Amino acid sequence: MASNNEEGALWSIMGYLISGLLIWGGIGFALDHWLHTHHYFFLGGLLLGAGASIYLVWLRFGRE
Amino acid sequence: MHITGHLASGPGFVPPSTTDFKLPSIFGHSDYATKPVVLVFFSVIVISLFFILASRKAAVVPSKLQFAGESIYSFVRKDLGQEIIGAGFLDYVPFLFTLFVFVLVNNLFGIIPLIQFPTMSHVSFPYVLAIFTFVIFHAVGIKRQGLVKYLKGIAFLPGVPKFAYILLTPIEIATYFLIRPVTLSLRLFANMFAGHLLLLVFIGGGNYMLHDTHLFMKILSPFSFGFGIVMTFFEFMVQCLQAYIITLLSALFIAGALVEEH
Repeated sequence: MASNNEEGALWSIMGYLISGLLIWGGIGFALDHWLHTHHYFFLGGLLLGAGASIYLVWLRFGRE
Repeated sequence: MHITGHLASGPGFVPPSTTDFKLPSIFGHSDYATKPVVLVFFSVIVISLFFILASRKAAVVPSKLQFAGESIYSFVRKDLGQEIIGAGFLDYVPFLFTLFVFVLVNNLFGIIPLIQFPTMSHVSFPYVLAIFTFVIFHAVGIKRQGLVKYLKGIAFLPGVPKFAYILLTPIEIATYFLIRPVTLSLRLFANMFAGHLLLLVFIGGGNYMLHDTHLFMKILSPFSFGFGIVMTFFEFMVQCLQAYIITLLSALFIAGALVEEH
């Protein structure tokens, strides 16, 4: 029972990490595109997304 | 050195590519009569026949066929249904069982002699399966918790400072509505696609070496064929594992939708 749930947690964590990078990286990329800046927002967005998704993983799986 | 140069500059070892997956139509020119489509229908016939025969003469002391059918069913029911979903799991066993067997058989087509094409290496088939899972787990969540409460549970995780929602809510929504179905289908597709390509490389490469004019290449070709055989066993493992994983994740998503967030 535990092993199956741990496997499930593993896949969910991977999903959160991907979508964090994708969403905030994507928002940063779009801002760069509109404001004609050179990847500063993209880089910032990726870092923000990575941080936020790790925080979210901690909230979902690490709190108890 | 001579050998490798010979291979690279030779008259034409064409490495397998995506064009190897674009199979011509079997009947006439219809796009709906290609090998993968025929295989899907064939898999349905095979699965139906197998389980009808396995369950027709259900006996207390099972025959070998009945035992095989019941083993697969009880595996899905216990390991994927009962353990993951818990209370009320019986409602979802038919879906999980169908999904598992359908994907398993279609994956195994990749290594069954004369068929040798994994249906799921065409991405549209995994997409449809992912859409089924997507609709079912959201429908289950909405039915169990109500639309507003369900969506609130996804978007707003309790016990988080309010400003953090700006960061977290987009990620949660993207995970539930985009990343989950996409990764579910792409994982299956990519594994089947890559596996088929791998077999094409070694078996096609062995074939090319065997027909090469150079004697040394002919002698070496069994190694390529041999590795092709090893990879076939490896593929068998991957095919079973991927059928298991897509069913496991579907069960987990349903289980997640059933549990209310606290």
